[in-house]
Amino acid sequence: MLKIGVQSDNVIEDGNPQEGFAVVRRTGFSCVDFSLNRYLRNSNIYKSEINHFFSQSIQELEMHFSSHKLAAEREQIFINQMHMPYPIYMPNGSNELNGYLREVVAPKSLAVCAFFGCPYIVLHGYKTVQYVGSEEKEWDQTERLINFLAPMAKEMGITLCIENLYSNVGGHIVGGSCCNAAKLTERIDRINEKYHAEVLGFCFDTGHANLVGIDFENFMTKLGHRLKVLHIHDNDGKGDLHQIPFTFTLNRENEPSTDWEAFIKGICNIRFDKVLSFETAPVLNAFPEEMKETVLSFIAQIGQYFIKKIEKCKHMIL
Amino acid sequence: MNILCTSHKIISKQNPQQGIRHIQSAGFEDIFWDLSAYVPSWKLESVLSENMEDISGFLEDVLIQEDKGGLKSSIVQMPYLAADTKQKNIQELLFKLALFAIEFGGRAGCVGVIIKPLFAGVLKEMIWEVNRAYYLSLAEMAKKQESIILLENQCKSIHGHLVRGICAEAEEAVKWVDALNEEVGEERFGFCLDVGVCNICGQNMYDFVCSLGHRIKTVKMRDCDGMQDSSLLPFTCANKGLQQTDWRSLIWGLREIEFKGSLILDFADTIAGFSPLFRPQILQIAKSLGDYFGWQIEMEQFLQKYDQRVLFGAGNMCRNYMKYYGEKFPPLFTCDNNSKLWETSFCGLKVNSPEYLKGLPENCAIVICNIYYKEITCQIKNMKLTNPIVYFSDEYLPVQADMECD
Repeated sequence: MLKIGVQSDNVIEDGNPQEGFAVVRRTGFSCVDFSLNRYLRNSNIYKSEINHFFSQSIQELEMHFSSHKLAAEREQIFINQMHMPYPIYMPNGSNELNGYLREVVAPKSLAVCAFFGCPYIVLHGYKTVQYVGSEEKEWDQTERLINFLAPMAKEMGITLCIENLYSNVGGHIVGGSCCNAAKLTERIDRINEKYHAEVLGFCFDTGHANLVGIDFENFMTKLGHRLKVLHIHDNDGKGDLHQIPFTFTLNRENEPSTDWEAFIKGICNIRFDKVLSFETAPVLNAFPEEMKETVLSFIAQIGQYFIKKIEKCKHMIL
Repeated sequence: MNILCTSHKIISKQNPQQGIRHIQSAGFEDIFWDLSAYVPSWKLESVLSENMEDISGFLEDVLIQEDKGGLKSSIVQMPYLAADTKQKNIQELLFKLALFAIEFGGRAGCVGVIIKPLFAGVLKEMIWEVNRAYYLSLAEMAKKQESIILLENQCKSIHGHLVRGICAEAEEAVKWVDALNEEVGEERFGFCLDVGVCNICGQNMYDFVCSLGHRIKTVKMRDCDGMQDSSLLPFTCANKGLQQTDWRSLIWGLREIEFKGSLILDFADTIAGFSPLFRPQILQIAKSLGDYFGWQIEMEQFLQKYDQRVLFGAGNMCRNYMKYYGEKFPPLFTCDNNSKLWETSFCGLKVNSPEYLKGLPENCAIVICNIYYKEITCQIKNMKLTNPIVYFSDEYLPVQADMECD
């Protein structure tokens, strides 16, 4: 049974998580993608500015998030996925920085994930192709990180989910790590076989795929059961804008320039039955604060529309 | 490597001779006949049948003139529909146009004919079956004309947003080319890599090229902004000082597969944008670019051609040579005009005076690792040396030269 989820960023605040989870429930969601990355922002990592949130002990971190956990339980919101801080490796970063990201941030993210009882954590692969020369070598680096985390993930019952990313050439966006479905299926299967557990899955990001012109239906269909979580959002094909689906158009007929039909077919083809999770926190920056709940409700209604279409598609196939 | 100049926007119906003259004067020896210039996609959009005699009459006229000029015509491309076409029932005409292009190609001496796949009005799940039948039905004619049918990576339009279409994923392209060749029992099908499409689809061209490997017979070199399907002269689409196309990844991929096919310079929109008065100059730049790409792509092939080699230059380019090629193609020594460096060691190489070159065996190549190629070549010639000379460049290296990886 499909459910609808939304990113916690810009909704659930540390000061009053109860109120945030209540908003999530009121506006029509039953799941949350917990933005653990907000505790160590990518913008800071890029500048090698590391706060020491993750230097706290696991007990301290659990203490910090205990009110969140309680609020989620009270509001019957399931934290089904979370986002590990990223990047988890900086090509020009110091050994100290990269060591901290790998040895401290990543394992403690898993610990927080386990504390919430969350089954999936999204992990960004390495973005080093221009330094190492080929995608294969870049993947080798990502795989080493996965091998480091996989035993912990297995122990905690968590599936690490790698995500299709993009890269930048001269200000023009190009496909980055994890954009080749054929290679991904082989890699995910091989790693899971090695650990005799589902330690690795996939997070399909519609916005990133749209930026590099990936055929949604083909990509998702090839991934099949390996696809565990979603980042649903829209853009203009040029920038990673994280906006509401159906927002963008490029013709006078005002038809959507993102292939949402293919998205529905892809979900339907693989019988995806998990969470339609919207990664649309930036939308809440665009709209006035007073409209937050209206906007969230609208996003949830789009989720309901997707569910209706997907169920119809599934019946047609049957 | 064959460097071809597009006919599009250069060889006009009204005055074809002038265009041919311009192409010849720029130093090109080969033309890429883009028949979409004469039967454009907008025309296919509005008419259901084309007067084939008109087209063939014009092309035959041009062919006669072209023979006089001595230009080759290695590749032809059939007319095609735009990605956002509204046409749905035009397959019969496209089949006729494809046959026409193959036949025309045969008479013009073309070795390859680019035939884009059928997509308009074809259900997604039927794409392969419909195109399989289409291509196989053209194979006999291609065999008769001794040419190869070239499939090409395509964009598709999602209401104006261009995304990956047929054969835009390397795995699919490989599958299609191999399956078709297997069915006809010979290498009758190959691939034309359209750099513009790869750029629009945000693809890593190194991976794409390496996956296709020997199947790539032709590369269409064109620049664009990554959003619009335009054909600009390579390197002309830059923003804030940065190139919009990842040429490095393309060049490195083509080096890796030891590409020896045809490079098409497709810059119809650049030509159309300028006053016709600048056409000769633009064509000269295009020719220089073609030569430049050929040199960059074939660099490793030149290096491996000779059993022994020495370097000329003991600076950064020499350092990069040693870092990336030192093991694969080890030099005997390096030399430099700076006498202060003589008898010293650089990157594990002894630095000699250029006078040492006089003692080299005849077939030992002198690899110039310095941007003063012409001056050093002149110096070597003045020394009455007849050794082969190779120009090395560290402009496109597999890994950024000054960066270390973990």
